[in-house]
Amino acid sequence: MKTIINKPIAETYGWLHAGGTAVDLPEEPAREVFSLAPGETKTVVRTDADLYVRYEAELPEGASLHFIEIKSADGPEKTHADIRAVCGKDAHFRWTRLLFDGQATYDNCSAELAGEGSSFTADIGYRLSSDHIYDVNCEAVHTGKRTGSRILSSGVLADEADKLLRGTIDFKSGCAGAVGNESEEVLLLSENIRNRSVPVILCDEEDVVGNHGASIGRPDENLLYYMESRGLRADEAVELLAAAKLAAVVNRIPDEKIREEIREKYL
Amino acid sequence: MSGEKTYVEDVNREFYDFRYEEHAGYKVASGLTEEIIRQISAEKKDPDWMLEFRLKSLEVFNRLKMPLWGPSIEGLNMDNIVTYVRPDTERMHASWDEVPADIKDTFERLGIPKSERESLAGVGAQYDSELVYHNVKKEVAEQGVVYTDIESALRGPYGEVIREHFMKLVPPEDHKFAALHGAVWSGGSFVYVPPGVSVEIPLQSYFRLNAPGAGQFEHTLIIVDEGADLHFIEGCSAPKYNVANLHAGCVELFVGKYAKLRYSTIENWSKNMYNLNTKRARVEEGGKIEWVSGSFGSHVSYLYPMSILAGEGAQCEFTGVTFAGAGQNLDTGCKIVHSAPKTTSHVNTRSISKSGGISTFRSAVVVGAKAAGSKSAVSCESLILDKESRSDTIPAMDVRTNLADVGHEAKIGRISDEAVYYLMSRGLSEEDAKALIVSGFAENVSRELPLEYAVEMNNLIRIEMKGAIG
Amino acid sequence: MSEHFLKIKELSAGVDGKEILHKIDLAVNAGETHVIMGPNGAGKSSLAGVLMGNPNYEVTGGTLEFKGEALDELSVNERAKRGIFLSFQNPVEVPGISLENFARSALESRTGEKIRIWNFRKDVQRALDALEMDRSYAERDLNVGFSGGEKKKAEVLQMLLLKPSLAILDETDSGLDVDAVRTVSRGVREFQKDREAALIIITHNAAILSSLRVDKVHILVDGRIVTSGGPELIGKIGREGFSDFEEKKA
Repeated sequence: MKTIINKPIAETYGWLHAGGTAVDLPEEPAREVFSLAPGETKTVVRTDADLYVRYEAELPEGASLHFIEIKSADGPEKTHADIRAVCGKDAHFRWTRLLFDGQATYDNCSAELAGEGSSFTADIGYRLSSDHIYDVNCEAVHTGKRTGSRILSSGVLADEADKLLRGTIDFKSGCAGAVGNESEEVLLLSENIRNRSVPVILCDEEDVVGNHGASIGRPDENLLYYMESRGLRADEAVELLAAAKLAAVVNRIPDEKIREEIREKYL
Repeated sequence: MSGEKTYVEDVNREFYDFRYEEHAGYKVASGLTEEIIRQISAEKKDPDWMLEFRLKSLEVFNRLKMPLWGPSIEGLNMDNIVTYVRPDTERMHASWDEVPADIKDTFERLGIPKSERESLAGVGAQYDSELVYHNVKKEVAEQGVVYTDIESALRGPYGEVIREHFMKLVPPEDHKFAALHGAVWSGGSFVYVPPGVSVEIPLQSYFRLNAPGAGQFEHTLIIVDEGADLHFIEGCSAPKYNVANLHAGCVELFVGKYAKLRYSTIENWSKNMYNLNTKRARVEEGGKIEWVSGSFGSHVSYLYPMSILAGEGAQCEFTGVTFAGAGQNLDTGCKIVHSAPKTTSHVNTRSISKSGGISTFRSAVVVGAKAAGSKSAVSCESLILDKESRSDTIPAMDVRTNLADVGHEAKIGRISDEAVYYLMSRGLSEEDAKALIVSGFAENVSRELPLEYAVEMNNLIRIEMKGAIG
Repeated sequence: MSEHFLKIKELSAGVDGKEILHKIDLAVNAGETHVIMGPNGAGKSSLAGVLMGNPNYEVTGGTLEFKGEALDELSVNERAKRGIFLSFQNPVEVPGISLENFARSALESRTGEKIRIWNFRKDVQRALDALEMDRSYAERDLNVGFSGGEKKKAEVLQMLLLKPSLAILDETDSGLDVDAVRTVSRGVREFQKDREAALIIITHNAAILSSLRVDKVHILVDGRIVTSGGPELIGKIGREGFSDFEEKKA
């Protein structure tokens, strides 16, 4: 069946109309629901999931879910994951996305920070080569007071890779004291890549702080000079920097055992 | 800051909201038909090609859909808009004495002749849709600089130059309101600066809308030839009316090789205005466009000056401030296309939302495959002053070469309590303290403006913040 | 080894067409420690940059030889492979790469051989101990979030791990408190134990030199070496500053 995915693939901003992308998808997604007890902490790892999966989590008070999603270089060609989390009071949802390439990947991750003091961290790392596509929409919807969100992404694009990241921090009216941060780094390794970034901050509340920063381009010249002065060839230095982008995301995984496993297997 | 007596919740715009009884000599029927276009064209004694252009644009206008992605313009009823109003006066006036008294008084209250006498090179002030007063100081004309109303230029020796450039940067197909502009445009300025000429003093034009329900469609065409340098100031202020007003002007700027153009605007349309203005610059090798933009007025704005960096080493600097108060939805920003090697762009904007106002910063930076060695840095900061207001930031970046450095920074927040506390500890009232902080926040723009404009802008901020003029 | 290790002859260099160094002559032998002193803006860091091959500098005249080989045509990393090391004044932050991994990658790249992680870790620990640095520094991302002092120590740490045959310390002591200067000089003394390695210390401050063996001192003013001599020059500068030399040039 031909299905048009409106979200995340359709553009939501006025100028760079790319239209929707048509993808063959099963009519119904596979569904996985994570249930946590109040105060429970859980880490879930999913690797090379099905074509179309919908993950849902409703986190009660004080619960903390860390969902790690990995796509290996030899994983399935096309995937679409749709992740929805609703956070209760002081609950925390963390999404770590590691993309070690893959032909076409469409992610949508949306966290509603409904409970007071709840928080969401998205940590996205990707490395794409060939003519591979990564299209990701990530949104933090702040409705509760003193909620916090961080959307971090760091990635590497080589060959003719094409990436589109829309990160949205949405401060709804009433989310007083909320803080949202978004930061993006993209290392571009070939002149035929395409990188699109649309970091949106929507703000309907006075008492909030929102920040965004992005840095997109080739490796910094001073950085390369520094690394070369220690004996690395330019291409070795660039490779080291590229590897570091994903390594940085892995390094931020709080669970030491899982972190080491992933490091060993993929880095 | 001691002059303000009371704090007024609603914005008090009395100072700008004066107007005179409408006694226009000629007015076309509301709504838009081919007949009306022919009527306008005949009245203006257009060359044939221009009539054709208008009719083609009308066709495009009828074909294109209303934009769906920005603030609502449902309140805009095209059938209600009187597109063309000519003031009851002869077309051009050689001297100030001949300008009709009420029109003159309006301008006098806006301080134009005074500032002209003091420092400005020329005034092309547009009253409704016609140029009523136009004067370029001798020394500027002697440098070979052409500064005139576009309609007479169209029929003069520069007619062919205008034909070559008119709506080439902003084609009618661009969007519905560009097409409307192409069909009904009226009035505006034409400036040509010959190669190597540096115009020392800024050229100024002051546009005003006066007739209720009148739309304004002025066209500004500026050509700065190789190695030349110009500062052009566009100021807008319009009185308040109940009928929806539309402004769909068009600004086309051609910046030649190694030329420099600074285009400054303080927009202060009345708060029932739909400001759907299109501005665009094309910059050749080594040239530079500098936009300085302050948006204060209008009910709804769609305003994104675009810079096409077409030649190697072309540069763009964009500095803007937007202040959205009660009843305002201002969607502003900019668009930059890097399409040649080693081009650079710097964007620095501030937006302020107050009393239920909505401000949106929207930008697009496109770095094309041919733009190796280009750099772009965008920085936008937003201040939200109360619970009722809203502020959105929607920047887009599209990079198609690795040989580029693209950076973006955005910040959104409120006035720091400590800053207010600190100023109050030095004796300022809370309102004064906040007004001072907001003025400081907009300093990126005010420091780029000539002194008298910077003063006017700070006055506008104080009016918006305090509701009175000191 | 009678042949000079580093031989600089009539070296002139600059940035963006502006000459900063004028006809510098300098010869450093294996095992020697040279000190280059001079007021701010004298061109000390430019000299370091030219030796390392910083692409911002352009050599406009003279010759640069290291171990009998002309340096001019060698890229930055080739110079590093020949054994030249520069301690940066403002080391760049390298996110995502730990200090230890970075140093190991650099060493592997220089030698072309894989290094056993456990052996290397012992070397790292020894160097950390010499600099009184906690083990965690080796695991943290290189220079990211390091204080000024920590960055300088991390540079000395890399020097000890990479074992260059010519190390140039560019203002490694500036901005450090007394304790940190002491720690850094202990690290430098550790390096001096290698009798084959040469050292160039660039500084405008005598404090770091008090506990170090110094063979020669050169005074650089306005891009020229105005005086060269023995360690006694350090004391003179400490007492009188550079004004004497600045007048001399005028």
